[in-house]
Amino acid sequence: MKIILQIGIIFLICLVGEGIASILPFSFPSSVISMLLLFLLLLLRILRPEHIRQKTDFLLKNMAFFFIPAGVGILEQFTYIRDSMLPILLICVVSTVLTFAATAYTVKAVCALQERLRKRGKRL
Amino acid sequence: MKDVLLSSPLFGICLSIFTYEAGVWINKKLKTPVANPLLIAIALIILILQIFRIPLESYAVGGDIISMFLAPATAALAISIYGQLDILKRNWLPVLAGTAVGSAVSMTSVYLLCQAFSLDEKLTASLLPKSVTTPIAMGIARQNGGIVPVTVAAVIFTGILGAILAPLLIRLFRVRNPIAAGLAIGTSSHAVGTSKALELGETQGAMSGIAICMAGIITVLYSLLLTA
Repeated sequence: MKIILQIGIIFLICLVGEGIASILPFSFPSSVISMLLLFLLLLLRILRPEHIRQKTDFLLKNMAFFFIPAGVGILEQFTYIRDSMLPILLICVVSTVLTFAATAYTVKAVCALQERLRKRGKRL
Repeated sequence: MKDVLLSSPLFGICLSIFTYEAGVWINKKLKTPVANPLLIAIALIILILQIFRIPLESYAVGGDIISMFLAPATAALAISIYGQLDILKRNWLPVLAGTAVGSAVSMTSVYLLCQAFSLDEKLTASLLPKSVTTPIAMGIARQNGGIVPVTVAAVIFTGILGAILAPLLIRLFRVRNPIAAGLAIGTSSHAVGTSKALELGETQGAMSGIAICMAGIITVLYSLLLTA
C-alpha cells in the first residue's frame, strides 16, 4: 500500500482513539486505546500487517527517537527534583529487582504447576 | 538571523535527529546499555541548549512535532503483539500470571518506597509506571497528574538497570527457565531490558517482547483501579 495511505490509516486510528478516550467516563491513555483498536482490526483481519508494514516499521524501529522532546523537558523540572534525586534512583533500583524476582518466581511456579498437571493427566 | 533559525520548528527537529544519530553511533561503538542512544540525545540537547543559552521554548517548537508521533508509535506496538500471537497462545497462563504479579509488585514497591522517602504525590504519580514501556508510562503519568519528563527519565534509567542487572539477577534468583527469565526482564525493564534478553536467547527475547505489551496494558488497568 502507498506510504501516504499507511500514514493516514495509523493517524486515523489514533484520532479515533483520542475520540474514544474523550467520551470514556474514566481517564485512560488514548494511545493505549489506539493500540488496542489496531490490534482488534488485525485480529478481525480488517487490516493485515503488510497493509501498514512500512509505517509501523518506521515507528517501531525509531521508537526511542520520539521520546527525546519529552526527556529534554526534564530541564524545566530540574530544580524541583534536585533534592529527591537520590531517593528516586534508589526507588528505581529496589523496585526493578523486586519486580524481576516476583515475575520470575511466579512464572516458575506456574510452569511447574502446568508440568505437574500434564504428568498427572498422562498417568490417569 | 539567529531569531529566524531558533523560531523554526526545523531547529528542534534537526537537533533531535542529529543528537540521536550520534547516540546510536556511540552506542554501536561502546556496545553497552549504559550508552543508551535516547539518554545520549537528551543529554547532548540539554548541554547544547544550556551552552548557547537557547530557551527550551525554541527547542519545543520542533519538539512538539516529534512528540506528536508518540501516539502512533504506541499504536504500532499492536503489530508486534500480533506477530507474537502464536507464542502468546501457547504460553498465555505464565505470561498473564507473571506480568500481572510483576506489575503489581512494581507499582506496590514504588508506592511504598515513595511513602518511605516522603516524596510528594506528583513524584509518586511520575514514578508509579516506571517499569513499563515509555509511551504507555507517559500516558499513565499524565492521567494521574505526574510529571512526564520525570517519568521518561525514570523509565530510561530502569531500562538500563534491567539490561545491566539481568544476567546477574538470573544467577542470583536461579532462573533456569528461559520463559521465566524473558518475562521477568520484559516486565521489570521493558524494551531496553529486552535488548539484553534477545542476546540471552530467542525464547527469552520473544517472551520479554510480549511482557512489554502485557505489563503495559496490565499497569494501565491497575492505575485505573487506583484512581477509581
